[in-house]
Amino acid sequence: MTQVTKTRLLVLITVALLLAPLLSIEPRTYLTLSVAGLAMGMLIFLVASGLTLIFGLMDVLNFAHGALFSWGAFVGFSIAVSLDRRFHWATSGSVGANLLILLLALTATVLVTAALGLLLERVIVRPVYGQHLFQILITLGATIVLEELIRIVWGPNDQVMPVPLTLQGSWDVADVVVLRFPVVAIGLGLLVYAGMRLVLNRTRVGLIVRAGVENGEMVQVMGHNLSRYFTGVFAAGSGLAGVGGLMWAMFSQSVRPAMGGEQLVFAFIVVIIGGLGSVTGSLVGALLVGLSYNYVAFLLPKAAIGVNMALMVLILLLRPTGLFGAGK
Amino acid sequence: MTPSGPTPVQAAREAARRGRLRQPTAWLRLGILAAFALVPLVAPSFKVTDLALKIALFATLAASYDVVIGYTGIVSFGHAMYFGIGAYAVALALGKLGGVTYGHLGLGFLAGILVSAAVAALIGAFSLRVKAIFFAMITLAFAEFALILAVQWTPLTGGEDGLSPRLPGVFAVSWAGGQFLGVPLGARSVTYYAVLAACLALFLVMSRFVHSPLGRTLQAIRDNELRAEALGYRTFVFQLAASSFGSVVATVVGGLYAVWVRYVNPESTLGVPIMLDVLLMVIIGGLGTLYGGIVGAAVLLTARTLLPDLRALGAALAPGSEILQRLADRWLLYFGVLFILVVFFFPKGVLGTLREARSRPASEPARPPIRT
Repeated sequence: MTQVTKTRLLVLITVALLLAPLLSIEPRTYLTLSVAGLAMGMLIFLVASGLTLIFGLMDVLNFAHGALFSWGAFVGFSIAVSLDRRFHWATSGSVGANLLILLLALTATVLVTAALGLLLERVIVRPVYGQHLFQILITLGATIVLEELIRIVWGPNDQVMPVPLTLQGSWDVADVVVLRFPVVAIGLGLLVYAGMRLVLNRTRVGLIVRAGVENGEMVQVMGHNLSRYFTGVFAAGSGLAGVGGLMWAMFSQSVRPAMGGEQLVFAFIVVIIGGLGSVTGSLVGALLVGLSYNYVAFLLPKAAIGVNMALMVLILLLRPTGLFGAGK
Repeated sequence: MTPSGPTPVQAAREAARRGRLRQPTAWLRLGILAAFALVPLVAPSFKVTDLALKIALFATLAASYDVVIGYTGIVSFGHAMYFGIGAYAVALALGKLGGVTYGHLGLGFLAGILVSAAVAALIGAFSLRVKAIFFAMITLAFAEFALILAVQWTPLTGGEDGLSPRLPGVFAVSWAGGQFLGVPLGARSVTYYAVLAACLALFLVMSRFVHSPLGRTLQAIRDNELRAEALGYRTFVFQLAASSFGSVVATVVGGLYAVWVRYVNPESTLGVPIMLDVLLMVIIGGLGTLYGGIVGAAVLLTARTLLPDLRALGAALAPGSEILQRLADRWLLYFGVLFILVVFFFPKGVLGTLREARSRPASEPARPPIRT
């Protein structure tokens, strides 16, 4: 098979798979499921976007990404709870206050998780660039430490995440239930996507980072301090993990110390499905995972956990470098 | 070259073979084996015997993983799945076929080995050609699938509750017991020695495997795949053989585990925690050392068994000390820090570091390179 026919075949299969549930689900339910799937996919993309930078672009198998996700959730939780307790910004119906609390929580989360990422990269990841097995081991150790620190600071139990009042509930658009919070998540996800595309493809920093991934020595010869750029990328990826954690916590309205580990597998699957280093691939992969998960969970609840794995195996068999991966 | 005399390589090998028993490591291995053999005779409680045999079992499992990851350089996250396949095959053959005989036991092992070999060959044929990290994720996917299957297919596997097979003949709890050289033996002891002997046999087979010409080729592929390919080896076939071999050994260990524990459930035989344990054992012992798994398994399992006792001891020594209690509750934190330090400063594991210290100046690469 030539490359073109293979690609066409893949697109065809994807579309057919996404429409197949229509055979046994009535259209209105199908639409509701699709909206929920898109929202879930966007939330997954928020988690996976950071991993795209760290694993996809820099080729670091960062298993601590899940722990950073949890940290983001808990930092946002603390900010939201304390602000709500003092000013009632979440429980009041004021749209401005609701958005402000979300914004402040997001800012704090990004700052803390990016700082943690900076620390991680400097202390434990830098010595093991290029050694996959040791990256896995070191970051597994870091995961244990970070999660235990969460248990020490915030306690080991589940806690209820306050969600701003305006973002709760749903709209009813032509009999299709549209939850409000996922719409915010979709907006934020698109914003993150556009921002990443812009920085990576249109700015000097993005150029240096991409060139540094291709040929680090050459970029260093040109006089750029590459290790500083890589630290920056790692910190940015960690910050995005925090954003994903906070959004997920608001979506599920709870925070748990181990919540990151479960999302990590999703994120890895998405990055691999999309193709390493491709931001667009991650977005498409995340939406595919979100949609297929929702359809299968509706039709065959028991098979829902396996469907993402099956999707990954299928895509890798057809395209060993992922959907948008460069054929290296 | 003279056709009659041995080549220099053969001569060196002969010399090494003759000097084998003069090496301290050979005696060390025999000593460890003797210690394992003595445990049921001197152990104060069943807990100790159980711990000893589990160390032997997991050491063998870790060694089989080492054949795949340390000797061939294939990073697989699905190794625990084969362990689970073996355990379930034996448990199912003894529990679901109506009879409990030695034949059923053998059938269970055979079925497990066949299924594992087929699954390993299939996964390998599909995915060994893709990038190494993708192979890791695909094997993880299959392992996850196996776990889901075991949990969901309740009529066959018993779901979360698992299976408790009865064992035939001398392994059965109901066996009256007998005497061997004047020492009374119960079913537990017989099972212990049978499983230990099987572990020993597996270790010998694996040792033979990695030191055979095939094993040498695998190490060549691990160190430099392109070069091995340029020398005319079909690396794919060799990698397939190595991963299938490791999987089959893991299956047999799984079956032995089912025989010893007499209980199989998804949590204890399949799934990611077991996989991580085995990975940790191999890393603690040392990649590419085969026997390192014994050290890794001993450290990890002993620590896990003793930890609740230690915490109870701490509580008894300093009652009411809340800080001590809270620190003890977060023991995992210290384990994490310790683990990071060990990976940093002893990347070759206990056995690898010792071997390096003995054979200085080392001409080998600093770390066994992993295919990336």
